[in-house]
Amino acid sequence: MVFANTLALVLFVPLIATPFAYYLGKSMGKKTGWIAAAPLVVTLLLLLSVTAETKGGGSYVEHYEWIPTSNINFDLQVDGLNIWVLLTINLLCLFISIYSIPYMEHRFHEWEHETGEDISGSGYANYFSLYLLYSVGMLGTVLATNTIQFYMFYELMLVPSWALINNYGYGERERIGMMYFMWTHVGAVILLAGLLSGYWITGSFAISSLSHVVGHPLAPWIVVAILIGFLTKMAVFGIHVWLPYAHGEAPTPISALLSPAMIGIGTYAAVRLVAIPMNETFSSFSMVFSVWALLTMVYGGLMALAQDDIKRFLAYSSVSQMGYLFLGLASAAVYGEAGAIFHYVSHGFGKCILFSAAGVLIAETGTRSIKKMGGLADKMPITATLTLIGFFAIGGVPPTVGFMSKFMIFSGVFDSALTHSTEQLAVAVVAIIMTVLTVGYSLWTVRRIFFGPLAEGMEHVHEPSLLMLIPMAVFALIAIILGVYPKLVLDYLLPFFSEVASVIQ
Amino acid sequence: MEVILMSSESLAIVGWQAVIEYWPAFMCWIIPMLGAALMPVFAKFGDKFRDILAVVFGAGGAVSTLMMIPWLFSGHTPGDVQVTDWINFFGHPLKMGVLVDPITIFVVNVVACISFLIIVYSTSYMHGDEHLTRFWFFFLFFIGSMLLLVVSDNLIQTMIGWEGVGICSYGLIGYYYRDAKERWLGGPEPTPMFPPSHCGMKAFVVTGIGDVFTLGAMFIIFKFAGTLNYIELIQTAPEWLTEMSHFPGLIAITAIMFLGGPIGKSAQFPLHEWLPEAMAGPTSVSALIHAATMVKAGVYLVARMSPVFYIGTYLLHLPEARIYFMAIAFVGGFTTFLAASQAIVSVELKKILAYSTVSQIGYMMLGLGLSGLTEEAYIAGLTAGIFHLMSHALFKASLFLGAGSVIHGIHSIYTFDMGGLKKHMPKTFWLMILATFSLAGVPPFSGFWSKDAVFIAAMIAGTPLAYTLLALGGISAALTMIYSIRYIWLTFLAPDSQYIQEMEHHGHSPHEAPPVMWGPIAILVAIMLGISLLGLAGQFTEGLNPELFIEHQIEHAIHGIMPHEVEIHVPHVELGLKAQAWTLSAFLLAIGIYSGKNYYWNRKVDEWNIERTGWRAPVYKFLWNRWYMNPIYYKVFVDGFINTGRNLYTNLEKAVFDKITPVLSSFFINLGIGLYNSLETMVLDEGINKGVPSLFTSIYNHIKKLQTGVLSYNIAYMTFIFLVLIIVLMIFGGMI
Repeated sequence: MVFANTLALVLFVPLIATPFAYYLGKSMGKKTGWIAAAPLVVTLLLLLSVTAETKGGGSYVEHYEWIPTSNINFDLQVDGLNIWVLLTINLLCLFISIYSIPYMEHRFHEWEHETGEDISGSGYANYFSLYLLYSVGMLGTVLATNTIQFYMFYELMLVPSWALINNYGYGERERIGMMYFMWTHVGAVILLAGLLSGYWITGSFAISSLSHVVGHPLAPWIVVAILIGFLTKMAVFGIHVWLPYAHGEAPTPISALLSPAMIGIGTYAAVRLVAIPMNETFSSFSMVFSVWALLTMVYGGLMALAQDDIKRFLAYSSVSQMGYLFLGLASAAVYGEAGAIFHYVSHGFGKCILFSAAGVLIAETGTRSIKKMGGLADKMPITATLTLIGFFAIGGVPPTVGFMSKFMIFSGVFDSALTHSTEQLAVAVVAIIMTVLTVGYSLWTVRRIFFGPLAEGMEHVHEPSLLMLIPMAVFALIAIILGVYPKLVLDYLLPFFSEVASVIQ
Repeated sequence: MEVILMSSESLAIVGWQAVIEYWPAFMCWIIPMLGAALMPVFAKFGDKFRDILAVVFGAGGAVSTLMMIPWLFSGHTPGDVQVTDWINFFGHPLKMGVLVDPITIFVVNVVACISFLIIVYSTSYMHGDEHLTRFWFFFLFFIGSMLLLVVSDNLIQTMIGWEGVGICSYGLIGYYYRDAKERWLGGPEPTPMFPPSHCGMKAFVVTGIGDVFTLGAMFIIFKFAGTLNYIELIQTAPEWLTEMSHFPGLIAITAIMFLGGPIGKSAQFPLHEWLPEAMAGPTSVSALIHAATMVKAGVYLVARMSPVFYIGTYLLHLPEARIYFMAIAFVGGFTTFLAASQAIVSVELKKILAYSTVSQIGYMMLGLGLSGLTEEAYIAGLTAGIFHLMSHALFKASLFLGAGSVIHGIHSIYTFDMGGLKKHMPKTFWLMILATFSLAGVPPFSGFWSKDAVFIAAMIAGTPLAYTLLALGGISAALTMIYSIRYIWLTFLAPDSQYIQEMEHHGHSPHEAPPVMWGPIAILVAIMLGISLLGLAGQFTEGLNPELFIEHQIEHAIHGIMPHEVEIHVPHVELGLKAQAWTLSAFLLAIGIYSGKNYYWNRKVDEWNIERTGWRAPVYKFLWNRWYMNPIYYKVFVDGFINTGRNLYTNLEKAVFDKITPVLSSFFINLGIGLYNSLETMVLDEGINKGVPSLFTSIYNHIKKLQTGVLSYNIAYMTFIFLVLIIVLMIFGGMI
């Protein structure tokens, strides 16, 4: 059974909760976190109530009029493609809001220690209200059905996350916040240029009508313009410069959302706006994108090997993982695209565990340098185990979900390569060999942080509070359940794509 | 229950009821996995309780596999038992299921029964360790994953078990993760030593390199076959291999890539370098995972997929398909020699046995490779591979457990710290002697019969490649005898080492292992002796011959899964051929005994000095440095990748990419300031605005400030960058 206006409520409940979080937060202190968590529980339940509709290729649309004179609607849609993206975002936002409670407490203490200024009064209120807005931005982007609405939410993701980095980040947070804002904003402007050109050709803002662009002389330009916007968000090689800074210096719970939840939305959007409606045009770029994706995978991995700062290490690992998503997308084959979306889910949970673990390590050891850590498995065995599971999830080691998603990405890549050209087969083979790089930098880092003799000055390190451990444990559990029983995701994803495939052929 | 007729003998059974009807095939891996998952709970009820339950869950797995043996004798193995749709891949359903045929039953029994005995051994060997919960978790999870790997009816499920055993291997090699100095492996100085956590990582990464190749091959196969179920792959091989053959070279590439995983997991050249370091784990782990079971997974998978390439070679007459067999035969034959040569100079008892394991697995791979060189050799080669797998599992597990007793007794891993232990640990000595006879291939021990089977397979194949590899295998057989004599001599018979003398001086004379430890060894040796005697009796009464029994079963299995049109040849081995093989073996043994005895036994001088004099010095150095493969791998791959990463980080990321934002933004800011000063202020402001009232000027200046903000310049520059990017993409995409 589906309630009326379910999807609208998914957006409005956290939106309405935002002022409450802000005003009550001023007096509630760290308990504000629960005000942020509560509406996210509601949205999760609402989303779960519509999942059944999307099984086996179905979809569920809510119709709202927005600007009737221009025939622009505010329709919201869930289907097999985005239901797991939404669930992932929602689960991550929900549990990270709980994780934020002890972490931000630590951050505000640290702040007071460094500057002598106690900002915890307004701090919690600001943080959690921005946090809720950020969540709405991400959910809205994924639910959107027309380009104007999409663009609006796309920018709504950007502004609160910029403010969070700018206000509560580390290091040169203002400069880095600005850098983050500019890069993604310029990307978004180019995206907008592409979307508007699409409108001039088709006369409609609906995403589905982008398919009419195919065949128009401007079609390749539109495809590239839109993709540039999304690829900036995904931080692929060459336009990745902002990511290590932004993800490295953001407050850690925000890094734990930026990296796994937000940048991957670029892939979802690319599938939704480009790869499906404009497949014909898109697939002519398959080869150049595959090479670019391979470059991103390898470059990100190599950069990760060179890092000592644990958060920058994870940020570069995200660059590398976005290469995998990009590779699946670039295959322009249904398996590969489905695999990219599936890997969004795997990377989401895996990387979220890892950033959370990084937060735990930072809060407990007081350092971000991997060199200064060592032998911590004795002091924090649960964190060590969860970190290992997180690495397995992004490295594609069964029984975690990463194995299944990488499996699908590569079956798409090989499928496409064997249909098209030997050059692409070469790219596919090199890419699959390079997956070892992920396992390599993961286990090396695990070893440097957790194994060996205990590092100096780490005698008093201990497991973090339950509020930090439970979110990580939940993600690890989900990563394993989905790995053992991938049908939970694939029953939604694959029927959607097989319909797409039948339409394309 | 829906029953699908696959071919004459193998049936596919579909449905959940199958789980109950064929429960042993499911329970054998479910029980240990359940035990692993519950270990943290059991630990809450006390250590004793936890240890007992670990034994109980291990026994559950072993009993389940034993219950499969009646199927073997009834002549009706269940075949492919499919339970439920697992993933529906665009109209290609992948089903979860098990494949129970004689090959499976042989391997699972070896795995589960040896695992059980080693669990019992471990209760004593690991007694008092504070992290036993973790140990049991990985141990039981290993058993479950390994059995899952073997009973799976499709490649994906196999891969899941495959990676599962990899994780356990990683966790158990690095079990002593604190890297206390006495746990380090390698040395003595100046040879580098490695901490256990490094060794675990090395194992996982090196085997991982092989695995990704196999995965790649799986995708190619899936693209053409549309399935990954073994039976379906074999049954439909004539169609999809034909389709694949339209792409020249593709079958050869796929065959070689597919072998990557087995080569990595079974520690074959060129991915063999992880196994010596895998000895950093507890000895019982080395015995189980890195000698008896996990390293055989590769052998199993090669055998499992061999029908596909057999069909390609002999039904479809595709020369490329034969590459599968030629490659693995070459790899196996070469590795046999490579590893045996290194075993001769190694100084750690467990490492000698590790090299020996690599070498012996080489024989198995050689047998499997020979099976496809000619049509006649197929069943003989498969039999040789599987038979040697079983006999090696028994004697090598005994040897490792014996080595564990020795290490337990004297607290050193180095052979130069041993010597004269025969008088202190007679039971261990005699058990190890018997197992060593088998390893060295002394008739009538089981190792003799199984190694002989490989030689005979080579003679049946009879191609030049087969004879070349036979020669290599023969030399290795002599080397095996030599290093066997060496380690027995050094450990048990040589004069007491200084270390032992010091131990005794301090009143800690080495002690015999407790019954819980030598008991399992004795059982393993007893089974091995049983097979040895059956092998001897089988020469007179065919019905008792274990080799013929395995051969019949394998023929039955292969016959059941092959498409009808494929002919299977069962060679009749003439006595003359056997006699040739025996003569060869006897000759090689004689050489081995003669040189080993002369070199180590009779010259009762310091072995370490003999090896480093005269012409032996460069040979010794070459072997000691592992043919320089290990150092080169580290240099090229480990250092190579890390240095490339660091160089790129300094010279590209920091020097170029990081500068983009500041350099270009300052360029635009300066441009802005320049324009403001020259054009805006000098020309527009000074020149045109002179006459305008000051009120307007001040308003104008306010607005102007907004317009020269940093943000807009940056955005302008970035738009420029993106425009360039778009144009480049267009050019590469072929749109302009």
